Amino acid sequence: MTQPPASPDLRAAFRERGYVAGDALVTSLRLVVALGRPLLLEGPAGVGKTEAAKTLAAALGTRLIRLQCYEGLDAQAALYEWNYARQLLHLRAAEVGGRAVTDADLYGPEFLMQRPLLEAIRQDVSPVLLIDEVDRADDAFEAFLLELLAEWQVTVPELGTLTATARPHVLLTSNRARELSDALRRRCLYLWVDYPTPAQELDIVRARLPGIGEALAAQVTRAVHALRELPLGKPPGVAETLDWAAALVALHRDWLDAEALDLTLGAVLKLHEDQVLARATLNKLAAP
Amino acid sequence: MTVPAVGDLGERVVALAAHLRAAHGFRVGPGEAAAALAALGAVDLGQPREVRDALRAVLTARREEGPLFDAAFDAFFGRAEPPPPRLPPLLPQTDAPLPPPPSERPGEAGKERRVPGQAQAEGMEEEVGSASARPTPDRETEGAPDGPPQRLTTRLSRDAGAGGQVDAPGDDLPELLRAAGALVRAAELGRARRLTPQARGPRLDTRRTLRAAARTAGDPARLRWLGRPRRAPRFLLVLDGSRSMGGSANLLLRFAFALHLRARRVEVYAFSTGLTRLTPLLRAARPGQGLHLPDLGDAWGGGTRIGENLLRLAREERARVNRDTVVLILSDGLDTGDPEVLTRALHDLGARAGQLVWLSPLAALPGYQPVQRAVRAALPHLDAFLPAGGLRDLAALGQRLRKLQINN
Repeated sequence: MTQPPASPDLRAAFRERGYVAGDALVTSLRLVVALGRPLLLEGPAGVGKTEAAKTLAAALGTRLIRLQCYEGLDAQAALYEWNYARQLLHLRAAEVGGRAVTDADLYGPEFLMQRPLLEAIRQDVSPVLLIDEVDRADDAFEAFLLELLAEWQVTVPELGTLTATARPHVLLTSNRARELSDALRRRCLYLWVDYPTPAQELDIVRARLPGIGEALAAQVTRAVHALRELPLGKPPGVAETLDWAAALVALHRDWLDAEALDLTLGAVLKLHEDQVLARATLNKLAAP
Repeated sequence: MTVPAVGDLGERVVALAAHLRAAHGFRVGPGEAAAALAALGAVDLGQPREVRDALRAVLTARREEGPLFDAAFDAFFGRAEPPPPRLPPLLPQTDAPLPPPPSERPGEAGKERRVPGQAQAEGMEEEVGSASARPTPDRETEGAPDGPPQRLTTRLSRDAGAGGQVDAPGDDLPELLRAAGALVRAAELGRARRLTPQARGPRLDTRRTLRAAARTAGDPARLRWLGRPRRAPRFLLVLDGSRSMGGSANLLLRFAFALHLRARRVEVYAFSTGLTRLTPLLRAARPGQGLHLPDLGDAWGGGTRIGENLLRLAREERARVNRDTVVLILSDGLDTGDPEVLTRALHDLGARAGQLVWLSPLAALPGYQPVQRAVRAALPHLDAFLPAGGLRDLAALGQRLRKLQINN
C-alpha cells in the first residue's frame, strides 16, 4: 500500500486556527501540496473559500500571496511592470552627469515592480498563491493564466525567462459569475464547496466564537438554515452566520428573541426585500 | 465498501475515467487518468472516503458532475464485482443518477421521444380544465380577468408526464444564425472598463509609447493610447418548455442554440414544472446536425410554473446577471401560478440586467391582447414584449430591439 506523504495533519492544523474543514476539502488540499496542481474552489459566496487559502498558508507556515481578480485585470497588473517614472529620472540624471546608459542599467531589478504572480514564482519557499474570484477577470486574462499555471515560468522581454524556484500552492476561487473555460478547469483539481450541514455549521460557530453560549449558537445556526431554504436574493453564507453570532455576543444576548432579531438582522440579511420576506420565518424561530 | 488491491485499483480508476468520458461526456483523458493514479499515491487507500474525494477532485471539473461521479464511483467501487451497468446519458444536474434496470437503456428510452405539446394519457387526470394544453387564440382570451379564472390547462403534479428526450432538427440553422447575429449586433451595452491598446483613448499607453520612441532616438514622437473596448453582451435565455408552448418551444430551443453559436457568453435554461440549465448540453451539441438533448425531466413537456422557476433562476443567476446581460424570456405566459411571485422574480432580474425582454409566440397571432395574468403582471417590469411566432419574428428581433433602444 502506498504511504501517504509526510505532510502536516491539515485537518488538525485548520481546526487549531478556527477553520472546521470538511473531508473533501482536506483531501483536496493535501493533493494540492502533494501533486503540485492548482485547486479550483467554487461555491456560493461566504462559505470559506478565500479563508481556506489563508488558513492553508498559516498551516504550512508559508506566505500567502493574493491576486484579487476584477474586470479589466491584465497581465501587466498581475505579473510585473517597469517603473517608468524612475527609469526616466535615471535617464535624466545620467544625461546631466554625462554618463552613458545601457539597457542593462535601465532594466535592472531596481526598476522592476513585481506584481503578485511574479512575486509568487520568485519565492524561496513555496508560498500559497490565492487567485481570488477568477470568474471576475475576463477571458483574455484566464488564457494568460493557463500558460503560467502549466509552465510556472514567465518571460520578461528585457530579462529573459524567469522560472519558479519553488512551485506555489495555488488556489483559485470562483463564485460562478462567469463560466470558466474548460482549459482552465482541466488544469485544476476541482471542489465545489457548499453550505455546511447544521451540525458542521454549529461546530464552526463554536470553533470561531469560543465564548458563545450553547443555546444561542444552536439557535443562530438553526435560523440561518431556515433562511437558506427561502427564495432569498442573497442567502447568508457561513461568514454571515459568524457575523450574526458575533453581533449577538457583542450585544450580550444569550438568546435570540424578537428584540435581538430587530437589532441584528442586518448582520445576516443584506437586502431589504430579503429582510421583509424572512421576517415571518424568523419571528417563528425567535423566542417570545 | 471494499477497496480492491492496488493493481486492480489502478485498472478500475482508468476504467472509471473511461466510463465517465463515454457515458457522461466528462472531459477526462489519459492525463487525468494519470493524475488520478498519482492522487491515489497521496491519500490513505484504507480510507474509502479519501479515495473518493481525491478521485472526485481530479476527475470532475464542475459542480454538476459531482453527483454523476459519485454514482459512477459507487458502481465501480461499491460492489464486489465489476462491470457496473452502463448509466444513461443523464443530465448534468440530475440529483440522484442511479443506474436504471437494463430494460431502460438509453436506446430504448429514445423510442419514447415526445414532441412537446403532445398529449399523454398518463397524468391527464391531474390536469385542470380541457384536455389539450395547446393554446389557441380563443382560449387565450379565456384567461381574461372577466372570464372564468385560468381555464387553460396546466399540470399541477411536479412530474406528471413531463420529460422525454428532445429532438430539434437543424434544417433552419442558417436562418436562425442570421437572426441570432442580428440580435447580438443590436445589443449595444456601452464600453468595458478594461483598457486595451487602441488608436484613440482616454489614457496614454506608456509602455507602447516608450517602445515606439526607441525608433525616434528616444523622442516620443508618436503617442500610443489605451482605450475601452465595446462590451460583449451576455445573454440569459429562459425557455418555457411546457406543453402549452407546442412547436414554438422547439423553434425557440433551436434559436437558443444558434445564439449560443453566435455569442460567446450565453446561458440557457429551460423550465416547465422544474428548471434545468441547458448550457452544458448546448455546448456539447454539434452545430449543423440538429439538437438531440437527453431527458430534460420536469423542465420539458410538463406544466408551467413561470413565477417559481424565474424566482429560482433569479436567485441562482444573481451573480451573473449584470448591466451586460440581456435576459430573454421565451414563453406564452400561460400559467396558473401566483403572479406576485413572478413580479418579484422579474423585479429582481430587471433591476440587475441591462435589458429584460419577453418573447411570446402568442403575441404573433393577429388580434392578440396581453391578457394572461402572468403577462399582465410582467409587463411593467419588461423593457420589451415582442412576438416570436416563427422564423420571421426571430429575424426581425434585432431590428425591433434596436428601434426600442433608439426610442428610449
